[in-house]
Amino acid sequence: MTTPSPGFDRRALMKAGLFGASAFALPPLLTACSPKSSDGNGGSSDGPIRVGVISPLSGAWTVYGKAHSAGFELAVQEINEAGGTLGREWELVIADSKTEPQIVTEQANRLVREEQVDFLAGTFSSAERNAAGPVATQADKLLLYPTFYEGQSQEFYPGVCNPNIFMFGPEPSEQVWPHMEYMVEKHGGKFFMIGSDYVWPRETNRLTKQKLEELGGSAVGEVYIPFNTPQYGSVISQIKRSGADVVFLSLTGSDTVNFRRQFAAAGMKDNFVVWTVDDEEAATSGIGPDATEGDYVSFDYFWSIDTPNNEKFRAKVKEQHPDVIMNTVGVAMYNAAHMTAMAIEEAGEVSTEGIRSALEGMTFDGAPQGSITMRAEDHQAVLPSYLVQAQPNWTGPDDMFKVVQSVDSVEPATAQCDNLPLSEA
Amino acid sequence: MERIISLGLEIGSATLILALVSMGLALIFGLVRVINMGHGAMLALGAYLAWTLTGNGVPFPLAVVLATVGVGLVGLVFEVLVIRHFYEHPFETLLISWGFYLVVTELIKIIWGSTLKNIRNPIPGTFSIGEAGIGRYEAVVCLVSLVLLLGTGFVLYRTSVGLKVRAMIQNREMALMLGVNAPRMYRSVFVAGAAMAGLAGALIAPMFSIEPDMGTLWLVRSFFAVIVGGLGAIVGGTLVGSALIGGGTVLFALVSKQVFAQTVVFALAVLALRFRPVGLLGRR
Amino acid sequence: MREATISTDVETRPPRQEMRQRLARWASAENLLAAILFVVLFYVPYLVAGYTVYILPQYMLFGVLAMTLCLLWGLGGMVSFGQGAFFAIGAYALGITLQRVETQASPWLGLLVALALGAAVAGVIGYFLFSADVRDAYFVLVTLAISTIVYVIANSQSDLTGGFNGMFIERVTFAVPGGVSLSMASDLAMYYTVFAFTLLAYLGFRLLQASSFGRVLVGIRENEDRTRALGYNTALYKTLAFAISGGVAALAGALYATDAGFVSPSLGGVLFSTSVVVWVAVGGRDYFVGGLIGAIAISMLSNKLNSLIPEFWQLLLGVLFVLVIVFFRRGLIGSLLLVPQYLRGRRG
Repeated sequence: MTTPSPGFDRRALMKAGLFGASAFALPPLLTACSPKSSDGNGGSSDGPIRVGVISPLSGAWTVYGKAHSAGFELAVQEINEAGGTLGREWELVIADSKTEPQIVTEQANRLVREEQVDFLAGTFSSAERNAAGPVATQADKLLLYPTFYEGQSQEFYPGVCNPNIFMFGPEPSEQVWPHMEYMVEKHGGKFFMIGSDYVWPRETNRLTKQKLEELGGSAVGEVYIPFNTPQYGSVISQIKRSGADVVFLSLTGSDTVNFRRQFAAAGMKDNFVVWTVDDEEAATSGIGPDATEGDYVSFDYFWSIDTPNNEKFRAKVKEQHPDVIMNTVGVAMYNAAHMTAMAIEEAGEVSTEGIRSALEGMTFDGAPQGSITMRAEDHQAVLPSYLVQAQPNWTGPDDMFKVVQSVDSVEPATAQCDNLPLSEA
Repeated sequence: MERIISLGLEIGSATLILALVSMGLALIFGLVRVINMGHGAMLALGAYLAWTLTGNGVPFPLAVVLATVGVGLVGLVFEVLVIRHFYEHPFETLLISWGFYLVVTELIKIIWGSTLKNIRNPIPGTFSIGEAGIGRYEAVVCLVSLVLLLGTGFVLYRTSVGLKVRAMIQNREMALMLGVNAPRMYRSVFVAGAAMAGLAGALIAPMFSIEPDMGTLWLVRSFFAVIVGGLGAIVGGTLVGSALIGGGTVLFALVSKQVFAQTVVFALAVLALRFRPVGLLGRR
Repeated sequence: MREATISTDVETRPPRQEMRQRLARWASAENLLAAILFVVLFYVPYLVAGYTVYILPQYMLFGVLAMTLCLLWGLGGMVSFGQGAFFAIGAYALGITLQRVETQASPWLGLLVALALGAAVAGVIGYFLFSADVRDAYFVLVTLAISTIVYVIANSQSDLTGGFNGMFIERVTFAVPGGVSLSMASDLAMYYTVFAFTLLAYLGFRLLQASSFGRVLVGIRENEDRTRALGYNTALYKTLAFAISGGVAALAGALYATDAGFVSPSLGGVLFSTSVVVWVAVGGRDYFVGGLIGAIAISMLSNKLNSLIPEFWQLLLGVLFVLVIVFFRRGLIGSLLLVPQYLRGRRG
């Protein structure tokens, strides 16, 4: 009988173990170098100016994504045709946020670290902007944010109250307050508020209630709907019983479409006035003329407003992006690009610090809605405000809205940030 | 008094619309024991087909019929190519139908784009009983749903075809021994379920936003309606399940916030599942 | 007197051969692949810098999440469309703990809370369902409902979770008594911490698989009634499996929260949970390394192809998913791992 030689096999085992350990440990000892550290070397000082644009190209809010990126692209085209900025052309790197804040974090990091962009523009929803906030701070890059939102409150830092973020869209004191008196006088002070269940509608409603009470009105109902609710029968009954004059809408996405269509089908429009602060041209197109006729909308920009700049702007959009429905968000992106170009020229260099100082307090006369200013203190754009009404049987954005009243420039409420002015935060 | 009528109309409408959406699912689940995760995509496809047809001038009722047939055909192709090989493996079928959902939804995005679409309300106006009212089109859809339920019930309980189907549900071996052609029946049921989903999608299209993910809105609700109602009790189960889920949400929303109403209804459905796994009207 | 010699196989088989057989089992294709994967992951920061080092920890954590589904599905035969919900629960648990409890030990406490909460929720729901023998499609639907409920709650309880706008979480510092601390602010520190966690999770799951617990789970998957007839409390085993997967998923979620710095309700939603199923299906549900590679590879590809062809990539993924379920039941990695066996069989 062969005597087993455990020694051999134990050695084999030890060899395997040693090999395994060395696979992990040896090369570092050999190469005597450490893992590469991620050094964020910025872009070169010649060559194109690279901008990272984060748009919702797919996912729940794709409808807004087209105008979002098209607005920026149009501006960049104009900038490049005029010879670029400081003699350098602009180059866009577009990332799809898929309407998911997690993806925004991923993509913002990719744009900054891998694509080495000079600054970021876009994100659509507040959640997306908040996801990009930490990246803007860590990498010390600017973020130009275009969407209408709930205003700045320190608890959501670094998504807001962030020296590196500039807000080019309106907040409730600009979007809602200027028209409250008109609505209350014309239709009555009893508001039924219905919005999607998240911060933007809640904050907007809170601020609206504040103003409403000042005007002697009251909120006779306040309902928040979780996302993706298909049926609104019970809410509609609630509205019927409330005795409201105005239905104040801050629903978004498919919920606003479903609600407004069901609201109209239930014959509610005969007895109630609807005022929405979410549904611009793209959403309204989705809902259809029969369900939107006579409803009020308020934003800083509409496709059909009558300013000399807008006439030229519309012509350009029709030529370059004929199948895009341009709206407040797209225009904000357009303005952001142009104002940043001007800031770079003024600063003489492409640096976060330089652009920031130049942008603060800057006035841009080429905006489609007229002259706008970027308030230095809290990086909030000072914008006009329009109240429009949807026309019967509209066929497209050209004949969709008619301006009921407008304010050339609204001074926004002060941001609830701890450290103002932001540049010294 | 009017509040009661109003409430009754709401509950009735919520129930019947959910039942309409869930019927196709109930049929396939009842017989083939497969959760068709692609149901939502079939719904969306029905809506999009109806949209394209009405956009090209086809009168709405005809568009609905054509959309139903169209989705039925898609279901047929899918069944013949893929599903029929997997009836013995319910898990695989569940996943494959989920894959169907993913693929069809992306195809819809590619073919029709992601912009929101809508169909004009075909029957504007309302029926009113004093202060209580209901949109005319909504009422018609509820009526169609009722007719569909009754029709399916009739087929199942009064025709020989229905007899065979019920036999298969109750005792498969026996039914096979008695000569029921299982593959053909499964195919017919699957196609019928798909067609019903297409019908539901086309019918509800004017009431809801037409977008690629529209089916997902209904997914969990209709699943629960079918399961709580009961495995195998296709007509009664769907009705009862829809009443509980749809009507339940309406009732809870009376006394609490929407978010609680929806969460509580789901939680109750899970409870019901646990204590009566075959559903209220089902039998194993 | 006659000696009763009972020669057992173990005694007469030469120990050398036995050792060789044991070594062959250890050096199986699966273990080799896992070893290669971990060695490669270990060396990534040596070879590349910047974004890849930043993003891989997130994908590794997705990989751990996928492995929890492999435990449930591959071993136990229970498909869960709700793993994302536990991931989110863990992420929020860490975030809320850090907000409410401001001490040096908070990160550890947060991890503990995440683990406990995930395991507890999963355990309670699991026991509730399995004790009534809720299984198959019904179980799938309940997990779907869990995702929906977590998403809705995370969105609406904004005081607690920040709601739709999300919650910010800084890169924590893990401190041990004695003054030693490791700050996750450095990408490298984060990377290797997550790497260690992933490796430990993998080894843990593999040990579980090889243990009697794992074998009983497989028995339950194959034929639950028979396993029950053999005297095992199948409800308890399934509950334990669900609790373990929930707890580990929550732990992974907590680490993800501090890595990404931001948590939003969509992390717990249906979309993310169903992605986990796709990763595991495509990677291979029967092998933990399959789930791991599936999650990492698909996430990386999704990222790379992000702006190039968003719709077509999703379409491709959907088609791949169907193909994998229909033809490659064991997933791509699973099928890959069969190749050496197949070749050996051919040769022999």
